[in-house]
Amino acid sequence: MVIFLYDGSFEGLLTAIYEAYYRQPRPEQIMTQREYQPDLFSQPIIIESDPEKAGKVYRAIEQKISREALEHIYYVFLSELPGAGTLIFHYLQLGWRLGGDINGHLAVEPVRQVLKISQRVGLERHRMLGLLRFQKINGQGEGALYYAAFEPDYNILELIAPHFSRRLADQNWIIHDVKRKLAAFYNQKEWVIGELPAVGQLNWAENEAFYQELWQRYFERIAVEGRTNRKLQRQYMPVRYWRHLIEKPGKH
Amino acid sequence: MELVEKLSILSAAAKYDVSCSSSGSNRKNKPGGLGNAAASGICHSWSQDGRCISLLKILQTNYCVYDCAYCVNRVSNDLPRATFTPEEVADLTINFYRRNYIEGLFLSSAIWPNPNQTMEALLRTVKLLRNQHRFNGYIHVKAIPGADWRLIAETGTLVDRMSVNIELPTSESLKLLAPQKKRDNILQPMKLIGSQIVETQEERKRSRKVPSFVPAGQSTQLIIGATPDTDLRILQLAESLYRQVHLKRVYYSAYVPVSTNPRLPALAAPPLHREHRLYQADWLLRFYGFEAKELLNEANPNFHLQLDPKSDWALRNLHMFPLEVNKADYRFLLRVPGIGVRSAQRIITARRFHSLDFTDLQKMGVVMKRARYFLTCKGKYYGQVPYREETIKEQLLAQPKGKENFTQLSLFSDFDNQYPVQDAISSITGEL
Ligand code: SF4
Repeated sequence: MVIFLYDGSFEGLLTAIYEAYYRQPRPEQIMTQREYQPDLFSQPIIIESDPEKAGKVYRAIEQKISREALEHIYYVFLSELPGAGTLIFHYLQLGWRLGGDINGHLAVEPVRQVLKISQRVGLERHRMLGLLRFQKINGQGEGALYYAAFEPDYNILELIAPHFSRRLADQNWIIHDVKRKLAAFYNQKEWVIGELPAVGQLNWAENEAFYQELWQRYFERIAVEGRTNRKLQRQYMPVRYWRHLIEKPGKH
Repeated sequence: MELVEKLSILSAAAKYDVSCSSSGSNRKNKPGGLGNAAASGICHSWSQDGRCISLLKILQTNYCVYDCAYCVNRVSNDLPRATFTPEEVADLTINFYRRNYIEGLFLSSAIWPNPNQTMEALLRTVKLLRNQHRFNGYIHVKAIPGADWRLIAETGTLVDRMSVNIELPTSESLKLLAPQKKRDNILQPMKLIGSQIVETQEERKRSRKVPSFVPAGQSTQLIIGATPDTDLRILQLAESLYRQVHLKRVYYSAYVPVSTNPRLPALAAPPLHREHRLYQADWLLRFYGFEAKELLNEANPNFHLQLDPKSDWALRNLHMFPLEVNKADYRFLLRVPGIGVRSAQRIITARRFHSLDFTDLQKMGVVMKRARYFLTCKGKYYGQVPYREETIKEQLLAQPKGKENFTQLSLFSDFDNQYPVQDAISSITGEL
């Protein structure tokens, strides 16, 4: 079984899809080098990322399928789920045939899978827009800095950074994906993504503890006693996200 | 008094107001400013009662000159009182917002010392946020009945949403439990706000320079179960508010017993079940093309507690079913129990490509345990029991009720079981 291995970047994935059409033998699977586990029957082929080839595939998806399809496969790519590369490959194979109508074919397995995963990634993105918590820390000189740590299931950092760059436009901030050791840095003008290893004890700004306490108090007091419903609470706000919440629902 | 203590008092005093939505406005940030509003609304946390926290919901003051029997803040109740200064509210809002705890502010107030001065205090707070702090996040403010229209109108140009709480659906109920409140005093500002919204929208079509007015619309709240009013009365009121005053949302709040006043019913627990049915019916009014009189009538003035309103309606109208899923109009699909707006749309899309059978529907999020009795797929009926009201009803009633949480926000899981979380989000944002 021929397997194309790419470097883990979106560009790499699109290059692999390009090669899948122009190179013999054709692959049965496409995955990242990290994901690949050698076995007796597979025949791995390493694909080098190539911006030009990737660009061609990118534009072809946009023009021959749809902008929407492009977004969906990007979200599936960000899911980092095992098999994502192959799924995207199969979805695109159908896409060249079906064109812009592809997402209407809900009964077709790869279409349904892509939509489902993309929806889940979109959901986590949406959740994190609300669940991310910033702490104000002392910055050098002028600028105080707001820091937020999170550990999303999917690699959604770059999907949420634009939102906060518009919303918290007049403050410096860092959003830190602790799990992936990545962070988005914003300086009141633009944001960039870079590596960031674990950070140690934070040096809070003067009033930080005070506002955290106020928020915790508010969180306690706003619940109506006669209506307690922890199950529902956990359903909307899964426990795995609580670690980074200031209000830490479990504590009360 | 310490700010922490004030916040404790004035958030606890505001918690019975159930409106939580931050949707419907897409206010953009301005250069050098802070904040914007997401049109679809964002929930920031969920409290122990399972309800979404999206806004900092507080009262400016809980001192009140009125004596509404159902309310903790009534003048005759002995409880700690506090008042925020406008600066304090603005500071809390800004600092919570910068930490991404909230989507904005929901500011309400008890009446102190009179409607005009109360409204003035709210307006001062809003002005401070918008003008001094350059805050462009979401703001929802109560319009105080009886306050001067000029104050309400000015507030309206600065906020995203306004609401006037009706609380009790009839004049008789108001007279009984909130003797200082007059129905006309409540309805009049609602009507004025409503027509001002429409007018401003028209003007803004011609010129963007016209300042917006309550762009996310107005809402209101009704208390359920503190008075003998029937579901029919309540739903008819909601219907006319949607149709005539163009309200965005009506919120229903199960009465939480807060006092032992002889004028109030003795309830062991808030009537959450009934509240839940009203929310379901409310969605049917707004998004499914139903009218109140189809769902309830004088002979049947209250909702069936074991059956959701749509199933109940379908059972009484079996002559309209079963529908062939591959042919039926969108409007009719929406009337099938177990088919929500999303799944109806999916059906319409998918059947353009091939005709659908039972398993396709399951995959599309149709709740087949309810829908199966009202559908045929490619001409085949999957109901498994004789097509009669009693037999189908028996099946529907036999279904385990464990999944239902009788709260406002779990509503969608009831309509569209396959997609509970996604729909939970849309129920919060009010989008379907
Ligand atoms: S006017 Fe409002 S705050 Fe005052 S008692 Fe009545 S409901 Fe409560």
